[in-house]
Amino acid sequence: MILLQLIINGLLLGGVYVLISIGLTLIFGVVRVINFAHGELLMISMYISYFAYAMLGLHPYASILISVPFMFIIGMVIDRIIIKPLREAPSYMQIFVTVGLSIALLNMALFLFTGDYQSINLPLAKKTINAGSLSISYARVVIFLTSLAVSAGLFLFLKKTDIGKQIRAIAQDRMAAQLVGINLNKLYTLSFGIGSALVAIAGALILPIYYVFPSVGSYFVLTAFVVVVLGGLGNTMGAILGGFIIGVADSLSGYYIDPSLKELVYFIIFLVVLLIRPSGLMGIVGAEEMGLK
Amino acid sequence: MKLRGKNQIKVYATIGSILIFIGLVFVSTNSFYLNILFTIFMFAGISSAWNIIGGFAGQLSLGHSAFYGLGAYTCGLLLVKLGIPPILGIWASIILASLLAIIIGYPCFRLRGPFFTLATIAVGEVLLILAVNMKTVTAGSEGLSIPFHPSLYNLSFQTKTPYALLGLLFMLISLSAAYIIKKTRLGYELVALRDEDQAAESLGVNTTRAKIVALIISAAITALGGGIYAQYVLFLEPHSEFSLATSVNFAMISMVGGLGTLMGPVIGAFILIPLQEFLRAWLGGASQGLYFFIYGVLLILVVMFMPQGIIHFCARPFNKLMQRFSLPEEEFPSHIGTLYEARQVLTKNKQLVTNDMPNEEILKVESVSKRFGGITAVNNVSLSVRKGEILGIIGPNGAGKSTLFNLLSGVYKPDSGLIIYNGITISEIHKSHIICRLGIGRTFQIVKPFENITVLENVMVGSFCRTNSVQKAKRLALELISIAGLMEKKDYICHSLTLADKKRLEVARALATQPTILLLDEVMAGLTTSEVEEAIKWIRMIRELGITIIVVEHVMQAIMSLSDRIMVMAEGKKIAEGPPAEIIHNPLVIKAYLGDEYETPSA
Repeated sequence: MILLQLIINGLLLGGVYVLISIGLTLIFGVVRVINFAHGELLMISMYISYFAYAMLGLHPYASILISVPFMFIIGMVIDRIIIKPLREAPSYMQIFVTVGLSIALLNMALFLFTGDYQSINLPLAKKTINAGSLSISYARVVIFLTSLAVSAGLFLFLKKTDIGKQIRAIAQDRMAAQLVGINLNKLYTLSFGIGSALVAIAGALILPIYYVFPSVGSYFVLTAFVVVVLGGLGNTMGAILGGFIIGVADSLSGYYIDPSLKELVYFIIFLVVLLIRPSGLMGIVGAEEMGLK
Repeated sequence: MKLRGKNQIKVYATIGSILIFIGLVFVSTNSFYLNILFTIFMFAGISSAWNIIGGFAGQLSLGHSAFYGLGAYTCGLLLVKLGIPPILGIWASIILASLLAIIIGYPCFRLRGPFFTLATIAVGEVLLILAVNMKTVTAGSEGLSIPFHPSLYNLSFQTKTPYALLGLLFMLISLSAAYIIKKTRLGYELVALRDEDQAAESLGVNTTRAKIVALIISAAITALGGGIYAQYVLFLEPHSEFSLATSVNFAMISMVGGLGTLMGPVIGAFILIPLQEFLRAWLGGASQGLYFFIYGVLLILVVMFMPQGIIHFCARPFNKLMQRFSLPEEEFPSHIGTLYEARQVLTKNKQLVTNDMPNEEILKVESVSKRFGGITAVNNVSLSVRKGEILGIIGPNGAGKSTLFNLLSGVYKPDSGLIIYNGITISEIHKSHIICRLGIGRTFQIVKPFENITVLENVMVGSFCRTNSVQKAKRLALELISIAGLMEKKDYICHSLTLADKKRLEVARALATQPTILLLDEVMAGLTTSEVEEAIKWIRMIRELGITIIVVEHVMQAIMSLSDRIMVMAEGKKIAEGPPAEIIHNPLVIKAYLGDEYETPSA
């Protein structure tokens, strides 16, 4: 029974990771930039939802109406101003610039909001669903279901809509996509916006159960990297698989090994995956060698 | 050693700046300034060590805190637990960090670009988690206090002046290491592999070994820095020693100063560290985060608007100043341009040709196949190449010509079949740099020059295949550049060259490896008629030097007049072989090129 509870906890936690990682992997898959400031985008979203609650009394789930459009625009602005001039630059320049963005955003938050941990006290956070001896957090079930819904939505968007098809075309072959008349820059910017908007959903949904503080992003972003590399950088379905695997690994190792060593477990999984199959579980083999042109 | 011109000035400038640094240390009586100086020296030194792998070799590591923290903890723990003085402890730090570099280097260097960076971050995080959790050894998150017993053996002192001098010494050690690397073969190899990994391999550079050696040196110096720093702060805490922020800081100082340059890290440290300390002092705790916000914005601005770093702005006035002295250029031996040296080294093969049996087989390909997924790019091809001949390979696009070259030069390993060169089964090797060293040089269909270094340096990378001496490498390179007609452009940065020049450069670079067989992959494609004629003359001249040549070419008139023999490939198979006159009338060849309708029944 403990095992079942642990696996359920792991899957629910995996939902959190999926929701946070899916935007990161979309941005990488399309724009080919590893956004080191992804964690800070999460942090900003959480603060938006936090202030919407603290000042306007808006329920975090409702604050998505504000934070999603806001982050969508922020994402597009970041791409236009910072990433676009470096599109053709070597990858280390893109890494440096997003690292710089991450440092700047994190410390701007530290300056504006101080380093204090903030949380909202919602009865929702403590609500559980009990089935037999199993106890399941209500807020986490919401996250879990949303992560599935968001993944399905993104999948349908990429599969069915014209823009989605164009985005997939770019992800597969930039050059060919350009040759058939797809406006690359427009879609890069759009994808960056969508990736950031997806983080906003994560930010709002995890607010009831996590503290918000300026460096909350750095706490999550490393896990997000593990998740997306495990699934295959750029592969949205891979991010879902990776998220659930890491969630379950986290939950099991926290119980059976040691709570303080669970991070070690998934960093070791991360290294092993990078070394044995750097393309990830669902990525294209060889992508990491070709440098993904 | 006789110093002349620019070098003399550089030596004076170096001695001058060291004296200024020492002067600065003694002028600063205030411990605030001494602290800044010490920090500048230490960070300049560590960032310079990072720059060896991150800048020279272009492998963006964001895990150098692993080496730094390991160095600090090793040195600190040896003192705390075993009473071993840090002056000995730092050697343990250096050795452990070098071992860690080897252990993580081999697997991580298989990864490219962002994947390498992510792996290094993970290594840093693993060490962080271990340091936090191995409480009995490291005291975990509570931190490790190092007792303060000032003495030279403990590398800790009553006042800050000796610390600043020690910091300066460390920086000079680190800069000397970087200088030596930059000026010797390893430096050329690192820059080459940074720009074009595969081309570097094809010129005999063992890229994995070069990167590992660079990482070991980088790690050892970083650990030394960590060890010294530990004796200054006397308190170690995993989240500051092993943090990602620490790694980012090392990288950023180089980036802001000038990535891959010698003095960039020093300039970066002199700008960023005082900025950090002054802002911290002025703004105080009231404006938490403001300093690092500025830091982050600065990094973004530098990457976007001066990707070559601040040193780029200092370089121009400095060079102008140098020109003022109107110093004589470095002198080269007078026989440059007469091909004295090139003939000496390159014609060694010719003697082999004349002395040995003529028509002796030098390269033998036995039913070689290579498949990619469902496509058989090279299908059961056999081939024999004789010493001193020019063999042409033609065939429609997708016939497998370039794949065959990639098999011959060890880029791919054949799925079946054998390639035997001079009695050695090279198809088993599958390492381009070894094949090059054995004597097979090549060019690439899509040119792969090292874009960010000069023409001369490009060719020198090739010369280093056979020599460790910079002087010798340079002499041979200059001669080959003059044969290639690039003498006027020898100091041009490669990306400014025309396609024709780049192709000539690639041939010169391949020749510099002193090959016995030269594989030329479409060196004439995209050239004008007069350029083609020149190239033909040139290839004949190379053959005169005794080098066996295999040419893949689409320019028919060129290949027909050049080749002694021609092999025709289509859809991965060899369809014909023989002298040019015969090939031209071969019905199979006509069919492959022009389609069935043109098949002539008469043949």
